Amino acid sequence: MATALLGERIKRKEDPRLIQGRGHYVDDIVLPGLLHLAFARSPHAHARIKSVDVTAAQAAPGVVAVYTGADLQGKVGMVPCAAGIEGLKVPEHPCLAVDEVRYVGEPVAVVVANSAYTARDAVEQVEVEYDPLPVVVDPEKALAPGAPRVHSKLADNVAFVAKLEGGDWKALEAEPGIKVIRQRLINQRLAPVAMETRGVVASYSPGEDLLTVWSSTQIPHILKTQLALMSGVEENHCRVIAPEVGGGFGSKLNVYGEEGVACYVSKALGRPVKWIESRRENLQATIHGRDQINDVEVYVRPDGKVAGLKCWIIADLGAYHQLLTPAIPTLTALMIVGAYHIPCVFVETKGVFTNKMATDAYRGAGRPEATYIIERVMDLVAAELNLDPVDVRMKNFPSPKDFPLALPTGVTYDSANYQRTLKKVLKAAGYTKLRKEQERLRKKGRYLGIGLSTYVEICAMGPSSRMPAGGWEFGSVRIEPTGKVTVLSGTSPHGQGEETTFAQIVASGFGIPYEDVTVLHGDTGVVPMGIGTFGSRTTAVGGTAIYLAVERLKKKMARIAAHKLGVKPGELEFKDGKVQTAGGEKAMRFLEVVAEAIFAKQLPPGVEPGLVEQCVFEPANFTFPFGAHLAVVEVDPDTGEVRLRNYYAVDDCGRVLNPMLVDGQIHGGLVQGIGQALWEEHVYDENGQLLTGTLMDYAVPRAHQFPWFETATTETPTRVNPLGAKGVGEAGTIGSTPAIVNAVVDALRPLGVRHIDMPLKPEKIWRVLRSASAA
Amino acid sequence: MKIEGSYTVQAPRDAVWQRLMDPASLARALPGCEKLEPNADGSYTAQLNVGVAAIRGNYTGRIEILDAVRPEQYRLKISGKGTGGFLNGEGLIMLAETGPGTTEVRYSGDAQVGGLIASVGQRLMQAAARQIVGEFFQALGREVQSQGG
Repeated sequence: MATALLGERIKRKEDPRLIQGRGHYVDDIVLPGLLHLAFARSPHAHARIKSVDVTAAQAAPGVVAVYTGADLQGKVGMVPCAAGIEGLKVPEHPCLAVDEVRYVGEPVAVVVANSAYTARDAVEQVEVEYDPLPVVVDPEKALAPGAPRVHSKLADNVAFVAKLEGGDWKALEAEPGIKVIRQRLINQRLAPVAMETRGVVASYSPGEDLLTVWSSTQIPHILKTQLALMSGVEENHCRVIAPEVGGGFGSKLNVYGEEGVACYVSKALGRPVKWIESRRENLQATIHGRDQINDVEVYVRPDGKVAGLKCWIIADLGAYHQLLTPAIPTLTALMIVGAYHIPCVFVETKGVFTNKMATDAYRGAGRPEATYIIERVMDLVAAELNLDPVDVRMKNFPSPKDFPLALPTGVTYDSANYQRTLKKVLKAAGYTKLRKEQERLRKKGRYLGIGLSTYVEICAMGPSSRMPAGGWEFGSVRIEPTGKVTVLSGTSPHGQGEETTFAQIVASGFGIPYEDVTVLHGDTGVVPMGIGTFGSRTTAVGGTAIYLAVERLKKKMARIAAHKLGVKPGELEFKDGKVQTAGGEKAMRFLEVVAEAIFAKQLPPGVEPGLVEQCVFEPANFTFPFGAHLAVVEVDPDTGEVRLRNYYAVDDCGRVLNPMLVDGQIHGGLVQGIGQALWEEHVYDENGQLLTGTLMDYAVPRAHQFPWFETATTETPTRVNPLGAKGVGEAGTIGSTPAIVNAVVDALRPLGVRHIDMPLKPEKIWRVLRSASAA
Repeated sequence: MKIEGSYTVQAPRDAVWQRLMDPASLARALPGCEKLEPNADGSYTAQLNVGVAAIRGNYTGRIEILDAVRPEQYRLKISGKGTGGFLNGEGLIMLAETGPGTTEVRYSGDAQVGGLIASVGQRLMQAAARQIVGEFFQALGREVQSQGG
């Protein structure tokens, strides 16, 4: 292949091995003497542990050891929480429960056996006596005085209260003609359901005092630090490897108790151990997403100008903090004004403990909630004032000239042109015609709905000053003596395709074939430092580090080549496998320059031999990608079923490096966002029992439920990084949920429907239609 | 979870009552019952192998008969746990003579399940419970007849 330039539609380097089943995931790691773990988990949402009897389990053939919470006490550190929020209450979170269990699925004991099946069977012989305690499931009830406390050591169930306020509220509240619209919005609990469940292999070698951990993780470097602290093995004796990771969506941006236990057991027994999560465990005990109650007050002028927004957020955190649990809802507050110039803002966020699994980052992580709030608000305003939702949005957009735009929420949007994406999506969908069709169909008793979402999100996380533990990223580029290029990145992909995009960055920089570049990642023994993959940061932050390392190498190579060619380094360009002057009269082959640098016979004075450069890129700000989505739905009045007829997405993620990967991210994101709007819901009953414990009960979307997505982009580059890329990993999920709900509510507007909470399942809509026709 | 229903046994009320109070008959009639032993306090310890759909497992539990009004009604209290989680329930059993040699047994109660049976089987629980109860009374009816009750 010729030189791959940035912006080309190139197939992913990763895919041949993945679609042929030749990748290696955690469960493919087999070590001599490997033992297997299985966890005994609480069937109670809240109970005191009276006793744990492991005699029978221990005696089962093939069982090597059984450990309880008490056995591990003081020997393994707590499950860590990295969120830094003022006044945050952080309850103790042991890897295995000691005195009390606080959610269904909480691990209580671990069985170690010579096969996974033996371990699983023996778990059933672990006898735990529980004394049930009062359960609190509803976060509002958890706030009531006298509510059962999830943690008896804490005074109440409030983990934190955060306030964010900006603008002249006094003046606004006194303004004549100002209208206040109120609405409660429920953002239901979801399960991330990565295709590959969690998994860990821990192998401790006593001779070397070396702990090697394979984990299906998005953050190998952070995990290494945390597992070192938890296990007591010095960090420079720890190595974490993330092999192929089959999806994460934020659920693997975490440090889990099971990982701490695996390290402990391997160290205690001096043998490698493996744990692969079952799907039931995955639904129960891998972090959940969303779960907020949002009470909104919108202050709007008669012309549709939104002047103020108040929101009270109740965030259901579950029973314990995982790595970033309490930080997620604070992102909702940060992004609550969306793509609109709203001068007055007030947000109060209450993080509440309940007897459920912890919530944490799930694709979008706090921003889908914000986008849902503000995009529903825009449609509520339009409905209330009888305006077109397009006009309300256009009226409230800032002008493209206003950027960078400092907002009352305390963030500064880098660059945007919201008008352009909206106009483009309206044109693609044929908006005027659609509205006419809608009118025609309404006369025939058919309910067509058109829903918009003009979202903005916060990406490329992020400046270290605003991140819990560093927001930079590491990249290094090394040219081997044969001219092949090895790239190391601290980001750790689970489907992002960075082996492809990073190779594009490097190949286009050096003017060499794309095939000559190999990207290594996900191994702390290979990549010296890193933060990881989340918050749509891979390309914008991780890619930039590599881009800058390439630039440094090019400078060095130009010096070497210039010395040989008798020209100035500034006169040289990298093109078609050569380092040459602009016209090409004086040139050296790329490989010749590499040989000069590495064999070091005639280097210019002061130039070190070798070609390896690294860069730790620290972004000065986040980026704020945006887009305009339009959904067309038809609601069947007899069955309440929503048929998604068309979906148009125009996304602006800054400069596009590979349109095929951007499409892929958008498609996947849309499916998850639409899944929340229409089907997905993780349900606990009032006793804290999880009712959606299998994929028979939890409705993961399937391909046949979707139309072809019409996608397009606009490109508004950012100055936050030299690549001009903003990030696109979460855009589809963030933008799509409100577009669908807005479309369904729009369809049912003639029946007096103002709002329906998600998921918009046929049953729910059927009830609404039935009560509407009865009235 | 509410569980209620009724079942008609072709036997006189006294005979049905007798069987319902007889551990040996109960043990034979209870689907999947592997052991039913009386305790000193009047309760029973039971070992059952039962299941909902694919979730079959071994359960150990305690059964108590309370407030018995012979031969009309009694309260039944069950607590058990096993491979599929736990089950706690309490209900009222009422016996009515609906004809000569015909007894209608009505039952109503509340059951709380936890663990695997809750997360996997709860949506099937009511139907499964009805089936188990049906099997029980059918077997009980046979008991009454075979022993010439």
